[in-house]
Amino acid sequence: MAPPRITHLLSETCRLLKRRGVDYADLRWVEQLHEELLVQNLQARHISTSTTEGVCIRVLVQGAWGYASSCRLDAEGLRHTADKALEMARAVAQHTSTRVKLQPVPPVKARYETPLEVDPFRVERQKKLDYLMWACHVLKDHDSIKTATALLEFYQTHKLFCSTEGSFIEQKTTESGGMLEATAMLGSEVQRRSFPTANSSSLRQAGYEHVKALDFVGEAARVRKEAVSLLRAKECPSEVTTVILLPDQLILQLHESCGHPVELDRALGQELSFAGGSFLTPETLGKYRYGSKRVNITADAGLPNGCGTFAYDDEGVAAQRVPVIRDGLFVEYLSSRESAPRIGRRSTGAMRADGWNAVPIVRMTNVSLEPGAGTLEDLVRDTRKGILMATNKSWSIDDRRLNFQFGTEIAWEIRDGKIGQVLKNPVYTGITPEFWGSCSAVAGKEEWKLYGVPNCAKGEPVQLAHVGHGASPARFEKVRVGKR
Amino acid sequence: MLLGKSRLTEALRRAAQSSPADQTLLAAQRSSQTTLRFSAGQIHQNLHEEDLTIWIKVACGHRSGVATTSSFKQDALRKAVDAAVAIAHLSGKQAFPSFSTAPPKEIVPSIETYFPDTVRRPLEETVRMIYGLSERSRKAGMSLAGSIVLGESELSVIGSRGLAQYRPFTSGGLRLVATEGSASGFAAQSFRNIAEMDEEALLESAWGTCRLNRHPQSIPVGKYDVLLEPEAVAEILEWMGTIGFGAKQLQERTSFLTGRLGEKIMDRKISIFDDGSDPAGLAVPFDLEGVPKQRVPLIDKGRAIGVVYDSHYAKLVHRRSTGHALPYDEFEGPLPTNLVMEGGSTPRAQLLKKLGRGLWIRRFHYVNGLLDTHEALMTGLTRDGTFLVKNGKVAGAVKNLRFTQSMLEAFSKVAALSKERRRVADPAQGFSSVVVPALILRDFTFTGQTR
Repeated sequence: MAPPRITHLLSETCRLLKRRGVDYADLRWVEQLHEELLVQNLQARHISTSTTEGVCIRVLVQGAWGYASSCRLDAEGLRHTADKALEMARAVAQHTSTRVKLQPVPPVKARYETPLEVDPFRVERQKKLDYLMWACHVLKDHDSIKTATALLEFYQTHKLFCSTEGSFIEQKTTESGGMLEATAMLGSEVQRRSFPTANSSSLRQAGYEHVKALDFVGEAARVRKEAVSLLRAKECPSEVTTVILLPDQLILQLHESCGHPVELDRALGQELSFAGGSFLTPETLGKYRYGSKRVNITADAGLPNGCGTFAYDDEGVAAQRVPVIRDGLFVEYLSSRESAPRIGRRSTGAMRADGWNAVPIVRMTNVSLEPGAGTLEDLVRDTRKGILMATNKSWSIDDRRLNFQFGTEIAWEIRDGKIGQVLKNPVYTGITPEFWGSCSAVAGKEEWKLYGVPNCAKGEPVQLAHVGHGASPARFEKVRVGKR
Repeated sequence: MLLGKSRLTEALRRAAQSSPADQTLLAAQRSSQTTLRFSAGQIHQNLHEEDLTIWIKVACGHRSGVATTSSFKQDALRKAVDAAVAIAHLSGKQAFPSFSTAPPKEIVPSIETYFPDTVRRPLEETVRMIYGLSERSRKAGMSLAGSIVLGESELSVIGSRGLAQYRPFTSGGLRLVATEGSASGFAAQSFRNIAEMDEEALLESAWGTCRLNRHPQSIPVGKYDVLLEPEAVAEILEWMGTIGFGAKQLQERTSFLTGRLGEKIMDRKISIFDDGSDPAGLAVPFDLEGVPKQRVPLIDKGRAIGVVYDSHYAKLVHRRSTGHALPYDEFEGPLPTNLVMEGGSTPRAQLLKKLGRGLWIRRFHYVNGLLDTHEALMTGLTRDGTFLVKNGKVAGAVKNLRFTQSMLEAFSKVAALSKERRRVADPAQGFSSVVVPALILRDFTFTGQTR
């Protein structure tokens, strides 16, 4: 339960804003705990804990928005923050000719909490360190491994949302995860393998039981072996060929080439000065062939264990499961109570802020490729010549999300339906609708894996959202591949 | 509103003095900032944010621990100090205590970092300016999007053995993107002093690029000579800072400087340094360990000569910190935050003529420098203005292109640098910047084109 003083402060300030005659207001208190433990080369190199707490007030006055946030959590502090939000809105209201129309939503009183078996913040840090040390020991067990890193990360985010419409929503989410990384060197050759994803922790909305399920110790030997194998591997050839992507790369492909372009604020030009626009403009909705008929992509804010899972978004809209690409056709946006009515739709419940000091913006929830049929083995068996790629290493896409290039940590040659030798430094490039249009197979649900990306950057000032992605391995035809 | 020197430093000092650790270091960053974002003639986001982050690092013998809080109340600070101490007892034993909580020997440079007019400007005036620029754009047949940030912040670092640093800052910036159909033009400026803001020049620049950017054509991919505007150069340099100019990257042998210190790795026209006291950038005189920022030469006339250090990585190689510590809860190691590239001798106005034939690029988008950090191999796209130049004149707009290029190779083929340099920074962040000239590079490799 949220502290009673916070509940009281928010209720009082909500009443105050009603008395001040706002069209609408909402208040969002957020307290976030974060713990991070990093073991490198068998040393506990970094352990930290952080707590941050504050409130964001959003008001609509004469059809104009005003936002203010502060970490000053007493009656005077909230009054000051409310006054600032009103000042911001009134300054804009004097000049704007277009009034914001907010889609009405029924007021709700609700609570949501991540279902978990073991609260990670109650697990002794020494136990977590022992787990990391053990994994690191296995990871480092080769002369060529120069840097072995094992990381665990935990977040607990407690939110209280109340609005002048009468909503009162409390949500407490817990995320757990981490990563392994082995850097191998031989002369000037440097190669890296990571698990479950590279460059950052892969998180799940879950307790410490997820850490156990990750089985770092069991995976470390494979990660080490693959890193070492890359040192003497052949370069990925430059050619146009069939590519099979494993889920730990496919999730970045989904994120960059589907998740971002279906954000309605981008499509309406509201991110032009920073993140960019979208090739999926409103007139393409329901008509545009985004991919082959095998491509079904869903944004599901209710997905169990997803990093983008919640009961209500940050403007009080209930979580939804929304097909955004159905049988290859672009059918829906991620949207908000303000943006959706602008194109004659209803909000798909995707307004989220990354903390108390940020404004909610349209964000991915859990954007996943729906499973098809068969196994990875089936996909490989049906491939005469091709390349299997795993684990994202580098990423880049244009400001309208069309031309992309991804590099992966590792690849394998496929010859006559069998996986062959390891290939190093693979990259592939393409144009979004052509690439998804070339999707010839998606493996079934037995192969489907869920990941959490904790660093999706968007907005000014930049916000880092936690979003979820799931996928089964998928095959794409006539893809341009090459070495880095 | 800021808390002020006495209120903030006193709260930190009390926490440091009552800490049970052998040494305690507290760094606080308080900020009060207004951000307005606009597009299609409307302000769609307007946030006033008052934020506070306090990082705490303690040493207990040869072990250290880190905690962070957003409250400067004594009970919250005590709780955070206790958490850091508990962590220290779990952490690995180091051969040395890596940070100092005593006053540094180096002098903190005296630089003006606070300009009251930046935050005194009435909100109504800023709102009126945005609507004015948007309306004029509409009348000119274009749509305007962008953002303006104006804010003040204060940074204080207090150590239990007498270290005491405090500095207030102002910062701001204006970004404009003019669009007409699929054509776009970008212009931006960041500053500490709002008197530097020139919205008219920015509007003209964004409009000018947008108009020039109509009807872009496809061109074959391959090698082209390029004129890179400062925004494009800055993005490359920031990536080089991240992958190569920090002591951690050098120690872990992933930096492009690995095994090359002392060697010539770029054209002799290239000199790069990091200087937190250079007012040409967004100057910040000390780091989060309270160490005064040193001017650190990184590339001198094409020769690789150094990286930046914080106390930990400095001690590992028996050096002194150069004042480049990041927040204590980061583990990226020290990084340059005020990169500067020396300018050349060619006036900017002559660069198109000097380019002769090639591509003129206003800025890059979504650059990624992780492809091969040893070669500083990067990929990215052009954005908001790519132009084919023939005989020193713009011959037409070109669709956005993808480059895949080793920056060591690119910076070894420098034809010219502009005499003038520009500051490029994220005004919402306010504590780092890049100061760079425009560059002409020969044989820059483009590997793809967007629609």
